[in-house]
Amino acid sequence: MKLDETIALLKQGRHVPEETVYKLCQQSQELLMYEANVTRVDTPVTICGDIHGQLHDLLTLFEESGGIEKSRYIFLGDFVDRGFYSLESFLLLLCYKLRYPDRITMIRGNHETRQITKVYGFYDEIVRKYGNSNVWRYCCEVFDYLALGAIINESIFCVHGGLSPDVTTINQIRAIDRKQEVPHEGAMCDLLWSDPDDVETWSLSPRGAGFLFGKNEVDQFLHKNKFDLIARAHQLVMEGYKEMFGGGLVTVWSAPNYCYRCGNVAAVLTVDDQMDRNYTIFEAVPAQDDVGNAIIPTKKPQMDYFL
Amino acid sequence: MNGNPRDELQETEPKRVKVYVLEDNEWRDTGTGFCVGHLDGACVKNGENGAFLVVTDEELPDNVLLKSKLEGNIEYQRQEETLIVWKDLTCRDIALSFEESTGCDALCDFIVKIQKSVEMNISLVAVRSNDDGMGSVHEIITGPVNLPSNDKDQDDKTLLEALRILNENTAFEFLRKETVEFVLAVGYVSTLVHVFQKAEQNHKHRSLILLSSIVKTLFLYNQRQILEEMVTSENIIGVAGILEYDLEYPDRKANHREYLQRSGFHFKEVVPLKSEEMKNIIKKAFRLQFLKDVVLVRFLDDHTFNLISDVILDFQACIIDFIQRDSFLTRLFALYTDTSVPLESKRDGIRMLHQCVQIAQNIDSLDKSKFFRTLVRSGFFDVIEYAFNVETDSGVRILATDMVITIIEHDVFLINSVNNECANNRDAGSDQNPSGQMVSLERATSVSSDVSLLMILSKILLTDKSLGLKEQVVQALNTLLHPEGCMEGNTAYQDEQNGDLVLGFCNDAKEFKEHFGANNSQDQTLQDIPQILDYFTKFYEVVAPFLFKPLMDLTVLNETSDVLLQHLIKLIAFITTEHDRVISQKFILSSQILSNLATLLRPTHTLQLRLTVVRCIKSILLLDDEIYQQELMAQGVYRPLMGLLEENINEDNLANSCLLDFFHLVSTHCSRALEMDRNEKSGFVLLNRHLVDHYESILQQVNYVPTISNMINMRNGGGVVVFGDMCGGSEEALDGKISSLLPHVDPGFNDDNDSEKSVTFKRAMDKLSAVPPPISIKEDVLKEEG
Repeated sequence: MKLDETIALLKQGRHVPEETVYKLCQQSQELLMYEANVTRVDTPVTICGDIHGQLHDLLTLFEESGGIEKSRYIFLGDFVDRGFYSLESFLLLLCYKLRYPDRITMIRGNHETRQITKVYGFYDEIVRKYGNSNVWRYCCEVFDYLALGAIINESIFCVHGGLSPDVTTINQIRAIDRKQEVPHEGAMCDLLWSDPDDVETWSLSPRGAGFLFGKNEVDQFLHKNKFDLIARAHQLVMEGYKEMFGGGLVTVWSAPNYCYRCGNVAAVLTVDDQMDRNYTIFEAVPAQDDVGNAIIPTKKPQMDYFL
Repeated sequence: MNGNPRDELQETEPKRVKVYVLEDNEWRDTGTGFCVGHLDGACVKNGENGAFLVVTDEELPDNVLLKSKLEGNIEYQRQEETLIVWKDLTCRDIALSFEESTGCDALCDFIVKIQKSVEMNISLVAVRSNDDGMGSVHEIITGPVNLPSNDKDQDDKTLLEALRILNENTAFEFLRKETVEFVLAVGYVSTLVHVFQKAEQNHKHRSLILLSSIVKTLFLYNQRQILEEMVTSENIIGVAGILEYDLEYPDRKANHREYLQRSGFHFKEVVPLKSEEMKNIIKKAFRLQFLKDVVLVRFLDDHTFNLISDVILDFQACIIDFIQRDSFLTRLFALYTDTSVPLESKRDGIRMLHQCVQIAQNIDSLDKSKFFRTLVRSGFFDVIEYAFNVETDSGVRILATDMVITIIEHDVFLINSVNNECANNRDAGSDQNPSGQMVSLERATSVSSDVSLLMILSKILLTDKSLGLKEQVVQALNTLLHPEGCMEGNTAYQDEQNGDLVLGFCNDAKEFKEHFGANNSQDQTLQDIPQILDYFTKFYEVVAPFLFKPLMDLTVLNETSDVLLQHLIKLIAFITTEHDRVISQKFILSSQILSNLATLLRPTHTLQLRLTVVRCIKSILLLDDEIYQQELMAQGVYRPLMGLLEENINEDNLANSCLLDFFHLVSTHCSRALEMDRNEKSGFVLLNRHLVDHYESILQQVNYVPTISNMINMRNGGGVVVFGDMCGGSEEALDGKISSLLPHVDPGFNDDNDSEKSVTFKRAMDKLSAVPPPISIKEDVLKEEG
């Protein structure tokens, strides 16, 4: 498989053969299995939040933040669903992962599951693009291998959702066999589903999975693990990012004009060698097709119909 | 609308009322009397009619308390049930307070009639206070309605005006209703299409954008008839054309028309439909789908989205209903037994069927069952036979498998039961071949249709080259082999019989409840139980020896087998956990599978396969079954498993995590067993002893989680440590500074208390108790911090 050719196809939003996707997914699995549940990443690095299938905005993200050839990235999950290019966005990141294994860390989001993608668009997108759901199946297998978190320079903990009452130390995450569909409860579920909120202690989450946690929980976790910051995504922030709890936690959101209608800006957080935080804000830009013509983002029409 | 003829107008019956007039900001009572809606013939001047609200004094009938003409643009407000208030053209504020609400009703009706016939500019508005008592709600009951121009010749000005009017009119139900009537009555959509064509010819860009906004506003009216009007053959291209222009993307244009106009290419008839009406419905459904998914995808709000979905669903239900009539399916399935039919027609037939099955997924469950049954009855199996025995295109085979999956996921016994029904008392057969040889498809078919389906799928899994197909088939096998699925959703099995009868099927009542407690399928009838047992017995006698052959005989492996073996091992984990223990265990133990698992754990196999084996062993251990536990030990699976640990002992990767999880399982179950009854013979206690006795030196190297030291400690009789040992990964242990202290109690244990509490706490939370956590948790954590 010629990785660079596939990358070029994907960047143009063009069709990638099922066979290629299969191989890509197989190779990704083999690579990802050698990664830790919580991988260690060095500075400088750029932390990116939810992408949600907004391929053209993902391309902008790379342009605005140095590009994969020059910079290191951590993606906090939710690559798929909602947007119209979930497959291309996810595969592009996988290709980058294969092409530049040390430059990109992919963390699993709560949308990277079979159950959620069946409802929120990724499954439908695949059936629309391929006429059957096999490619969805391949991708879901890869989801099971994605990391659950990352640690930058032993001081920033990166995760999609947030904390769990079952996790006080990183080694507790290490002892999870992550290769599974995200369970409905327990540490693995909470890491992908929880949200920070103005609460005194662990509280029920209105999402029906994970918990709400407050400043107390964040302070304890940071203190116990000697971290400075929790970087997470999972919630739309109109301004692109939002620091909470005296700077102990930040939400980073990287899908501008979310769902093509929310009107928000997006952000990525770059952490340099001095551990200084720099936010880059970017907006949705007009999408382009494979020959550089501006296009209106939309779903691919269904195939022929019969009777 | 405004068309009530004059002669329907009548004076109203007198109604008792008090008359108030506003003076100096205070309502002054001017007397009590009887109110009528009065038509004054004498006032007919210049072709005009006069209509009045007249109140005469109840004591002096000649004394007129009020005579107020309905005229100009007076807005009458009906406040609550009994009050009508207005400001007349001389700016006098008047209020009529009726004794009864029926009186008020009568006069309001009069006002409505007058508005509709003679004084079209007056209006009547109902004002009610909000539910919360704060503020009020205004609702127009009648009044002048602004409507957009229906002129075929329009410019930016009229279009802008139309857009404004249409937007305004969405705000009130009355205006909305009137507007919808107008749109449908005058063919407004086709007017817009006409205006659009001219505007596009003349490159009037602003008009085009305005038209697009107008059409979008019409969608927001959320009106089924307007929707259907948009997608008629006459209008759809125009409407799609209009929607190619978008205010958000003013310098660009989509190409919806180009896509739609290839419609000859889109619409294929595999066998003739013989109904123009149905063709029309199919086309409309397709166009609506296109509007919903592509044209309007960024625009639709939830209401309109749901409306479009509902209309599509209606059409689809029609389509599914139609194709079950008029021998359509019989004609379709005839394609697959006729060798003279061109290959491409057969393929299109499968594509079409696949589409129907996809569509049917959305329809009502009973209709879905009916449709699937009709499919199977009409010869669906011929399609399956064709797809898997004749067809070479894996894309088409994938579609066929997809259909099978959809049908069995809806009702796992549907194909079986319908086929049985058709099978004309074929001998169920009592002389199957249990020797593990491959049974011919034909033979299996005579046993039971569902076994034949299992055989077809097994064969695909073992022999087909398409990896995508294999993955699909695994899903289908999982469904077909799931006892829960077998009973669920099959309404025919619902009866008041209790689950006791099925107990033979599961190990005990508890497990039965775990399997089936969540749904209503406890209600089984007597006759169905043997059917299900029969089904699984046949699976183990006929299918399993064929399906699992590669696992039973590792000599025929080649380098590509690891992926297949992974699938099979997952299936083994599945059947050992989900099937009747007696039947499945007999099969597992009589095969070489457990000892082969040990072989597959060796480094010659892919890491993925080896981890799949670890997980399979894990799920078998979780059954807490003495026989399995002894057998796993006897077959020597733990030596290669410890080898795998050694390879990854200092790695932080998936293999390491998978094994940590494995030891965590052993440790917690061992600890629980010791805690409960100090039962030294519990399988987990024995396993823990075995692992520590044989592999302590390897285990001791795992110093980053307390699990392992717990295991060693328990083996050495160090008492029962606290359950929840995962919590203690303290920094010290992580750094390995205290590993030399092993097997003494790890200082990390001190942390265990709060872990246990937080687990307990979480469980409590899961039960939706909003009670705050015990204070002790916080204290413990704080203590620890200090």
